[in-house]
Amino acid sequence: MKHASLRPVLTLLAVAAVAGAAVVGLLPGYWIFLATSVLITAIALQSLGLVTGRTGMIALCQMSFAGVGAWTVGYLNVAEAPGGLALWIVLGGLAAVPLGVAIGLPALRLRGINLAIVTLSFAVAFDAILATITFPGQVNFLAVARPAIFDSDSGYFIFVLIVYALIAAALELLARSRLGAAWLAIRHSERAAAAHGVSIPMAKLSAFAISAFIAGVSGGLLAGYLGTLVSENFSMMQSLVLFAVATMAGAHLAEGAIIGGILVTMFPELLRRLDLAQDIGNVLFALGATQALSTGETIAETFRRLKHMLARRLGREREITAAAAPLGDLPAPVGRASGPALQISGLTVSYGRVVALDSVDLTVPAGSVVGLIGPNGAGKSTFIDAVTGFLESYEGEVRLEGRPLEGQPAHRRALGGVRRTWQTTRIAPELTVGAYLDLAAGHGGGPALDDAQRNAVLAWLGCPDPATPVAQVDAGTRRLLDVAGVVAARPAVVLLDEPAAGQSYQETLALGQRIAEIPELFGSAVLLVEHDMDLVRSACSSVTVLDFGRVIAAGPPARTLEEAEVKKAYLGIEEERASA
Amino acid sequence: MRGTSTFLTISGLACFAGLALAEPAAAAGPTCDGGAISVGAVSTITGPADFSEVPKAAKVVFDAVNADGGVNGCQIDYTISDDKADPAVAAQAARDLIDNRQVVALVGSASLLDCAVNATTYKRQNVLSVQGLGVDAACFNAPSVSPVNVGPYTLTTAMLYYASETLKNEKLCAFFIIIGGTQEAYKQGIANWEKITGRSIHLVDLTLPLQGDLTPYLIKARDAGCDAVLTNQVEPGVVQWVKTAEAQKIDGMNWLFLAPGYTVEVAKALAGTEQPVYVGTEWEPFTETGSTANAEWIAVMEKAGRSLTAFSQGGYLAAVVFLDVLNGIDGPVTRDSVNQALLTMQPKAYDLAGSPYVFGAADRHAPMQATKIMKLEKGAWTVETPDWVVLPSVE
Amino acid sequence: MNALFTSAVAGLTAAGAYALLGVCAVFTYRLVAVVNFTGAAIGTAGTFSMIGFIALGLPLWPAVAAGVAVGTLAGAAIGFVMTRWFSEASATTKAAVTAALLVGIVAMGLRFTGGQHPQEFPTLFPGSAFRLAGVEVTIASVLTIVLAVAFTMLADLFLNRTNIGLHLRALSARPMAAELLGVRVALLSQLVWAVTGAFTTFALMIIAPQRSPDFMSLSLLVVPALAAALVGAFRSFRLALAGGLMIGLIEGLTSAFGSLSQYRSIVPFLVVLAVLLWSQRGARWDEAR
Repeated sequence: MKHASLRPVLTLLAVAAVAGAAVVGLLPGYWIFLATSVLITAIALQSLGLVTGRTGMIALCQMSFAGVGAWTVGYLNVAEAPGGLALWIVLGGLAAVPLGVAIGLPALRLRGINLAIVTLSFAVAFDAILATITFPGQVNFLAVARPAIFDSDSGYFIFVLIVYALIAAALELLARSRLGAAWLAIRHSERAAAAHGVSIPMAKLSAFAISAFIAGVSGGLLAGYLGTLVSENFSMMQSLVLFAVATMAGAHLAEGAIIGGILVTMFPELLRRLDLAQDIGNVLFALGATQALSTGETIAETFRRLKHMLARRLGREREITAAAAPLGDLPAPVGRASGPALQISGLTVSYGRVVALDSVDLTVPAGSVVGLIGPNGAGKSTFIDAVTGFLESYEGEVRLEGRPLEGQPAHRRALGGVRRTWQTTRIAPELTVGAYLDLAAGHGGGPALDDAQRNAVLAWLGCPDPATPVAQVDAGTRRLLDVAGVVAARPAVVLLDEPAAGQSYQETLALGQRIAEIPELFGSAVLLVEHDMDLVRSACSSVTVLDFGRVIAAGPPARTLEEAEVKKAYLGIEEERASA
Repeated sequence: MRGTSTFLTISGLACFAGLALAEPAAAAGPTCDGGAISVGAVSTITGPADFSEVPKAAKVVFDAVNADGGVNGCQIDYTISDDKADPAVAAQAARDLIDNRQVVALVGSASLLDCAVNATTYKRQNVLSVQGLGVDAACFNAPSVSPVNVGPYTLTTAMLYYASETLKNEKLCAFFIIIGGTQEAYKQGIANWEKITGRSIHLVDLTLPLQGDLTPYLIKARDAGCDAVLTNQVEPGVVQWVKTAEAQKIDGMNWLFLAPGYTVEVAKALAGTEQPVYVGTEWEPFTETGSTANAEWIAVMEKAGRSLTAFSQGGYLAAVVFLDVLNGIDGPVTRDSVNQALLTMQPKAYDLAGSPYVFGAADRHAPMQATKIMKLEKGAWTVETPDWVVLPSVE
Repeated sequence: MNALFTSAVAGLTAAGAYALLGVCAVFTYRLVAVVNFTGAAIGTAGTFSMIGFIALGLPLWPAVAAGVAVGTLAGAAIGFVMTRWFSEASATTKAAVTAALLVGIVAMGLRFTGGQHPQEFPTLFPGSAFRLAGVEVTIASVLTIVLAVAFTMLADLFLNRTNIGLHLRALSARPMAAELLGVRVALLSQLVWAVTGAFTTFALMIIAPQRSPDFMSLSLLVVPALAAALVGAFRSFRLALAGGLMIGLIEGLTSAFGSLSQYRSIVPFLVVLAVLLWSQRGARWDEAR
């Protein structure tokens, strides 16, 4: 574990300790009671922030998971199970996990709105079930037992605070892991995440499972807090309100969850003191959530932005600096056998009657840069989609270093050694440059590069240093970052889709040079899709020309680009460009 | 036996303390050093139901007492807290009343879930509640709550008792909506009837949905050949139930409902029906404005300009009970002295109710065991049983 | 066997309601690309206004008209929010907005309608149509089914055969592009929202007397409605119609199995689950992501 990533965790724990001491030391009993409620709600909100805020899926049944946790704790309490509340809440959380996975499963590969419908109908169904099951112990008036040393109001506050801090710290670590980066990437673009070798179903399911666990824990804590519970604690309306508050406050951030918890707990308090009706709270939450969705900024994010602005005013903000490192620090190239790295034969793709690719043959030899050119609509992007596994079906054969790739989903192909970039950059803006590189370079395990190697790859392409947030990187540089990502993975083949689009002439020349160096420095063969003929001439050893889905010419650039048919196809392009 | 000896010991001690502390010419009665006597109620006011009429009626009583100079000179400071039928808010409201308002007792609460959520808290914090309207099962199953109403579970027994003993119906059927924690209580209600009468129930269905179409259930009742059907539907459901029965052209069945069905709105909504509809009341029927039992309650409410509903009877009764208890206290009114007075009080009869009210030190309280039966006749409620239907005690 | 049939027939009332609301949900999605969680709540608002107007002394049918007008306005109001601020947002964001709005609408609705106090819901079409398997099938339930079928056929015709329909489809697919083609996007979407508001209101007026007529329960009819719409994959009106009828009939059937009927509100969830698992056989990528 790197020092830099531990620091926020330690900060978080320190803040929790100080805040906890302040609450217990300074506040009267009633406010400690409220503060406990704030923390329990904050834990529930964090579970929601994980699926909704981080991964971008709408979950409307979070309180149902909490209900499972609470009822489990209730049963364990009545059964006088060993281990006490601390163990029971963990078991309660675990009990919610299978449910979370079961509900996540059917919504994995489809549009996000389906998950909203599944979860809402589950919440309604769960209401019906829970309402018929009396909370264990209620009839005999048996309250959930708290651990002896945490029995008082302030004691239980400390107990909940410890659980909150542990969960928040664990989430912070997760957020910085490759899995955390994958969640953000999925929210931004599922295809791009899969192209980095992320298994979308696994990543989504893990988010759902962890989220259900945390929600279950919050339910267990609530059981210990109130002693006995009713099904209304976990009703569908509660889930909906939680969703609105999470959306409003930004529950995927630790401070957002606390803000949300304060809103949920203090609003009734405030309304009571002002002698206003309690239902105003829900109306305000609904408006707040709508407002946050329309501006795209939650309360927590607003605070972060203001903090940045303040830092900039005070001149404390760090400048964006270019990454700097000697070329020697680059990771060693992966040794590859000679022969074809990528071999495509008879590739045919048709949409109904329209044939997008017609029996295309193409070979990328190991250690070479091959160009793929053609006018707009010639089928170049379809070609990349087919090779990298983003099409539902195609005919023909794709072989990577001799192995056929048919039947493998996109993320398997990426892990197997076919990496790609996109015509429009799809990097999640919430990541840092370094986290993005780790995500792109990774193969599923820990970080693939050490600090020096990461710096060297970024410096080689003129990208900013790893700590820079992607949001602050301009569009042109993001395209370079895309290239940095795929080469850092050192796959057998990289497929670059118009990397020079939007670059200046000078930058394009420099990029051409870099692309030409890729086979030597990283051991990867390159298939370059480009419109810029100068770039193709300078970087490629051979070129294939597509027109209307067919190969019309192939060979060394100098000769192929002079052929009459190619010129004719491209003259069309030039006219089109002039008129556009 | 033990109760009596405790009572004697405690009252002996109290007398002793009273003697020891008594100023030479101090009159007996409650005193308040801190100014007012703080009392509270947790009620569902906003959200899916509105029970606010209960605590508001209690407030009318307290206001009247305050206007007359208070209880032995002590003003009563009454706080009503809304729980939105949200357990988290209910818990907060209770703690606010106990910790911040320092209430000596809760009086006239009426909520969908106050008892279920807060009974544990009341026990932990040593506060007692004279519930104005006990709704959830915990209200009748907790040491720190004693409602002034009969409640749906005892009323279940009473309605079945009336159907079998007075209407002489043979095949009794019961359909219940079960929401959190009520299953055991309703089953107990039926079991009590079976024990009292020695009969057995013809059909019990605990699967009525809170919302949705009722046709399948009425078909089921018809096919089972029920003579009388009892359900615990609340207001809108009562109307829906009878209208569905009409739509299915069912006849020859008596429809029995619990107290939530006894409202003027239900009578109006079902003005056109020919179906025999019976309800059991919590107290003296509130629609009988000429009855002497209602006279005092009506006078107080009309003076304050409040409408006459069953809910307001509950709040009124809870407040009156509490005032009687207060007046029996000698010395400072604190949570402890109020608790002692409630725990040791003797059963006391009130005109509004068919059974005497008592709190007492039992583990659970359901002092009210009597109802009056109302029948729907052309859009108005008429009294079927001028005398109280009092349940025999269960062996 | 006979008991099963009786139970199924008894479920017809609910079936018609779900089908009608399900078809409305598909209509909204296809024309303005929003999965609308407030659908039933909009109709509920209109229905309760009708009761308000009756209480103010308006005769039945003028009150119905006024209620439908309120529902239309409510639909247009939600539509205004959606087109004004979220026309370019993703489908997920739009769904999130309506889910959040539902919280507020239910809170306000409960406030203005006095929680669970009974409201006298006039039966617009009283009486029973015929008797089947020992069950009286009411005119209202026949009417909801007929309306649902009619709406399905009309919507199909409208979208596939008329010029406006084509415009509207273009609009939901690509608002920007449609704007460039000269389609008055904002106005048309507003119109769609208003029309669906009117339609759901009328549907709920027919259904309300047969349901527990409080604001929250009626608003939650959106759950079986969306489940029905999902059966039609938010594309096919006919499948949505079939889905709604199926959910209602299955719910009715549960009452033939004793204690199962307690859990009948699980039916929409199970249907959603089954449909999603079935439609997920092939991998599919989110469009444009």
